[in-house]
Amino acid sequence: MDFPSSLPPSLFTTGPLGLSDVPDVSFMCSWRDALTLPESLPQGPENAAPHVAKGLLWEPDTPGPLPLLPPGPDPWDPGVTAQDLLFRGGYQFRRQPQAVLDVTEQVSGPTVRSATRPGLCLVTWPPFLLQLSRFLWDHGDIAFAPLGKLMLENFKLEGARGRSKKKTVVSVKRLLQDLGGHQPWGCPWAYLSHRQRRFSILGGPILSTSVASLLGELLHEELALRWEQLLLDDAFTGGALAWVPGRTPRAGQLVYPAGGALDRLYFQKVSLTPGSEPRVLGGPGHIRLRGPVRQVVTHTVQGEALLAVRSDYHCALWKVSKQGQPAPLQVLQVEKGATGISLSPHLPGELAICSRSGAICLWNPQDGLRQIYKDPETLVFRDPSPWRWADFTAHPRVLTVGDRTGVKMVDTQGPPGCGLLLFRGGAEASCQKGERVLLTQYLGECGPECLHPTLHLICTQFSLYLVDERLPLVPLLKWNHGLPSAPLLARLLPPPRTGLPRPLLLAGQGGELQLLHVAGEGASTPRLAGPPQSLPSRSDSLSAFPLLEPKSQWRLQERLKAPAIGLAAAIPPSASTPVLSLFQLSAAGDVFHQRLHLQGEPGPDSPAPTASWTPQATASCSRWLKALLEVPPAPPVWAAPTFSHRRLLGCFEPQKAEGKAPEGLRTAMAKGRLLQPRDLGLLPTEERAPAPEPGPEDELSERLEAAWEGQAAAWWERRRGSGSGPGKQPKRHKRRTQLSSTFSSLSGRLDLSDAASPPPSPERTLPEARPQPPVTPPAQESTQELWARGVPSERQQTLRDYMAELPLRGDAPGAASVPSSQASSVRATPSRQRAAVRPGSQPHWKKPRMGF
Amino acid sequence: MSDFSEELIRPTTEDEQEEPHVPSGTGMCLPWLQKHIETIATGGKQEKDFAQTTSACLSLIQEALLKHQWQRAAEYMHSYFQILEDSDSNKRQIAPEIIWRLGSEILYYHPKSNVETFNTFADRMKNIGVMNYLKISLQHALYLLHHGMLEDANRNLSQAETWRYGEKSSSQEVLINLIQAYKGLLQYYIWSKKKMELSQLDEDDYAYNTASQNMLNHSWKTSINLCALIQIPGVWDPFVKSYVEMLEFYGDQDGAREVLTNYAYDEKFPSNPNAHIYLYNFLKREKAPREKLISVLKILYQIVPSHKLMLEFHRLLRKSENEEHHKLGLEVLFGVLDFAGCTKNITAWKYLAKYLRQTLMGSHLAWVQEEWNSRKNWWPSFHFSYFRAKSDWKEDKALACEKALVAGLLLGKDCRYFRNISKQDHQVLKKKIKQMKKSVKKYSIVNPGL
Repeated sequence: MDFPSSLPPSLFTTGPLGLSDVPDVSFMCSWRDALTLPESLPQGPENAAPHVAKGLLWEPDTPGPLPLLPPGPDPWDPGVTAQDLLFRGGYQFRRQPQAVLDVTEQVSGPTVRSATRPGLCLVTWPPFLLQLSRFLWDHGDIAFAPLGKLMLENFKLEGARGRSKKKTVVSVKRLLQDLGGHQPWGCPWAYLSHRQRRFSILGGPILSTSVASLLGELLHEELALRWEQLLLDDAFTGGALAWVPGRTPRAGQLVYPAGGALDRLYFQKVSLTPGSEPRVLGGPGHIRLRGPVRQVVTHTVQGEALLAVRSDYHCALWKVSKQGQPAPLQVLQVEKGATGISLSPHLPGELAICSRSGAICLWNPQDGLRQIYKDPETLVFRDPSPWRWADFTAHPRVLTVGDRTGVKMVDTQGPPGCGLLLFRGGAEASCQKGERVLLTQYLGECGPECLHPTLHLICTQFSLYLVDERLPLVPLLKWNHGLPSAPLLARLLPPPRTGLPRPLLLAGQGGELQLLHVAGEGASTPRLAGPPQSLPSRSDSLSAFPLLEPKSQWRLQERLKAPAIGLAAAIPPSASTPVLSLFQLSAAGDVFHQRLHLQGEPGPDSPAPTASWTPQATASCSRWLKALLEVPPAPPVWAAPTFSHRRLLGCFEPQKAEGKAPEGLRTAMAKGRLLQPRDLGLLPTEERAPAPEPGPEDELSERLEAAWEGQAAAWWERRRGSGSGPGKQPKRHKRRTQLSSTFSSLSGRLDLSDAASPPPSPERTLPEARPQPPVTPPAQESTQELWARGVPSERQQTLRDYMAELPLRGDAPGAASVPSSQASSVRATPSRQRAAVRPGSQPHWKKPRMGF
Repeated sequence: MSDFSEELIRPTTEDEQEEPHVPSGTGMCLPWLQKHIETIATGGKQEKDFAQTTSACLSLIQEALLKHQWQRAAEYMHSYFQILEDSDSNKRQIAPEIIWRLGSEILYYHPKSNVETFNTFADRMKNIGVMNYLKISLQHALYLLHHGMLEDANRNLSQAETWRYGEKSSSQEVLINLIQAYKGLLQYYIWSKKKMELSQLDEDDYAYNTASQNMLNHSWKTSINLCALIQIPGVWDPFVKSYVEMLEFYGDQDGAREVLTNYAYDEKFPSNPNAHIYLYNFLKREKAPREKLISVLKILYQIVPSHKLMLEFHRLLRKSENEEHHKLGLEVLFGVLDFAGCTKNITAWKYLAKYLRQTLMGSHLAWVQEEWNSRKNWWPSFHFSYFRAKSDWKEDKALACEKALVAGLLLGKDCRYFRNISKQDHQVLKKKIKQMKKSVKKYSIVNPGL
């Protein structure tokens, strides 16, 4: 093999990360790579100018990728966000200490300490305790059910055998089992057995502390884990989308996981045509696996297409036949959890698996599984991450072993544990402080003739390095990628045409894509040919979709922003301009596709043509969107407890003769949908809803006018007089009767202060920030019903809302006064009125206790 | 795990907001952490309006660069200069470097930019924020060199060389060394141009004397310029190469040898294969004894067993009288063929086939077995599979024959590769295949008794 005859000059320093005293000779400058030093003068520096076209550019056909396959039938939940986990401020909580349960006082030391420091932290103490105490009340089942199991693990509870069991002796084991098993949702008091009551008296003092410490510790651990996952989810490192070439270069299969839990491995045949969008051939076949698929790797070695799949605790290997049928070869279990899998590009069926325990194993059909390396510690310096990675090198018996701090080459036949460091997170590669390896990949698998088959790609959160295994520690190329998320996916493609540089695709977890042109073969050093370019991401496709109502729009946006978990690309052979087909897989299981064509050197003045959406593209987006909106949204993680109404209302079995109205109401209630007039047995009327009334607006302008003239007080007086007096405006009267006639059992008190108060705002947690309604006139105050007495004023509105939802028995005052002639004119309004108080808009207030 | 929330608090403590990257609990810097925190930022210290605008402008420039929209990037750049007026001294200080990095990139690729524009920009930037003077000068010189303007580049470097600012720091010193080395390289280019002119002149010509005088001067200057840098650990291939060439030209063989030996064997330097290759080539030119050459290549063999010089190494070892060297010769051939990039190297296969036969004829079966033991479980599927036999025969029949002989010798006549090739019917290769069969029958290590 050729070695570059003259390497680019670089300084070599040893030391830890972020050693700032040394000048960075590379200057992080992208055009520096274009300045290859002339070998010798006779050819002249003029001729040594890089022959690579300056304007090498892959032009996308459309402004963004398009959905290739219809969305899956399972709903997708984006999971926790930073807003869910972070808490900022906390000053107001400290000024007004809130009463919390004693139990939670001792929860998790670290968070308690952190509360003494200002600013932001994951969960600060007072709100955390508040939250925890609420959690214990509201989700007793979730909080206490695992407790029994936990305590069973931690205590030795069984007494000596053969001892006679008297009635005074309680079997703690049974009790603890009870604790876990028999609690109905939501209600901690239901089914409280005598045994449990006795136990709670006996075990109270112990339990109060152990619940807190056990639960708090676990909760804290879980929160920390979720937060770390949110910042960097390395489970999908390497990518879960693979392109398995078929019989002809234009046909192939996409292999990817989909389904709600990503536990189905799909095989979709796709045919690529240079002139148009790829065609999906038939429906996908799928294999159901026992866990979520995290990584899919494919290689064609000696004519054999192999497919390796990594799940959390299992790895599997398939052989794909010429017809595209997968046949299982091996399934391996990884007890501590697998972090990486790679297939050998040299020997058919050989694969390397990395475990969280720090072990690297090699499997091949002849020798079976063999551990070749094990080190629970990281390579260069101490880093807590258990992430490990392994890949192959140009020598089939030498593997690279990587972790967050560096990459080492290990000879599988040599003595265990020894090897040379290929990459060191330190001054050798002028790494920054806090820089860590996120991905390493062997780049030499695409055939020896185009690029050095000894190159390795190493990505950190800041930069990309190309390292030659023959010159360890000194990166041949370093480029600051500047991706706003973790680069966990990379693909090197064959050159689109002989003589052209090879495209290297790099994708961040957030879906950002970059394309680099890597040139350099034979005796020249690998370098970037031309400036790297960014490619459109999935969220750039938003403009291709029709505009939707905000909720669906938000759902679409969220779906398009789903993290990228897979990347695959193919360059089908074509006579004219080379075309690159790029496939992306998102965490929601969507496969998107983008076509790019290589642009020649554009003239100095001709602006690059901008891509636009074709009618076909927008049509396919609309189809996809329609299918997406048909998928029901993900159910919330926790729903309000449902009680068995059969048990509760067993004695009131519905009587058949009651007519259509209660039946319709009952079904509407049971289905949780909007009550429509026809449910109540009323015929839809042709009458339109009354035109919007100039109600509050007019009052406001009136009031403003008065205030402008300095007569606000007089205006208010006038208003009060007219509001409580008998000469009430007919309009207001009408409004009220509209409401009361719709829900015939409602009290007329609904509009206590309706005229000037805004609809109940969902931001209830900040009462002082809410625009305050004018003070309720004493005349109205006195007419309030008994139920409103003693209820804090800010809750009255909620109660009112609830009252509004519950058809109360008995005639409410006001209902009788409704003129029957008006009853029919208002039937179309309830949907609007109800919409303002629908429980969906106020999740905080829908707890059943409130209504009790 | 327990202190992650503690760590997280850090970014918002008053003055540290300027930190570009926020460390997470594990000590890892996550550039995107700030973004997450900003999504929930409601209270607390907000960035100043100007800072927000400048960072937005910066990201617009970067976006335009990544989309190759040079014109647009240049327009944004025009606005970005305003950051030099920032009241925040910290930002003002790092701004020139960012401006230079982005600006030079724009000017390098912009279709309407030319050398004059670049010169003006570089000269201005050198004097804004003096700390970057040396770096910018060096890159400016490289740009000029790339555009064939050797004289201008040389002048530029000469200016930078004499520049001093404040106390001489170690990083400044390295940069000055680098600048001097590049200047030396430029002089080498001029020198080698002169050398070529000289070679075309007649020795008796009057002009010859002046020209050679000129060259002498250059050489002296260059040696001073180059030798400082190549003492510092690093990869200095172009400098070492040109320096050695000049030393050799003036007959300073000892000096050249010292430079190369130091470059190859100094432990502070990274293990650079080229250092050994340069030394080997020098020794070869010097007609050094075979032992010496072998000792140099032995080290190269340890570093890069796949290098193409290994075949030359094998030839040297084969010619040697030393028995140990003969054994090493076999090892080297096996070593070359281990690598994925060398599987189709017909010379290596030819050498191996020939040498294997020779070794077995010389009854050194143990040597072969020693090499074969570590390879017998993967070479058959790596080199001698049925697939390989078919594809090799299709692509390169000569290669297939050589490989078949090796396969037969190592695996016996029943191996798939050998069987497949030996039953092929080919007019020209008929004789060769017949010979191959005979050799395998006689010497294969699988049936040594026969």
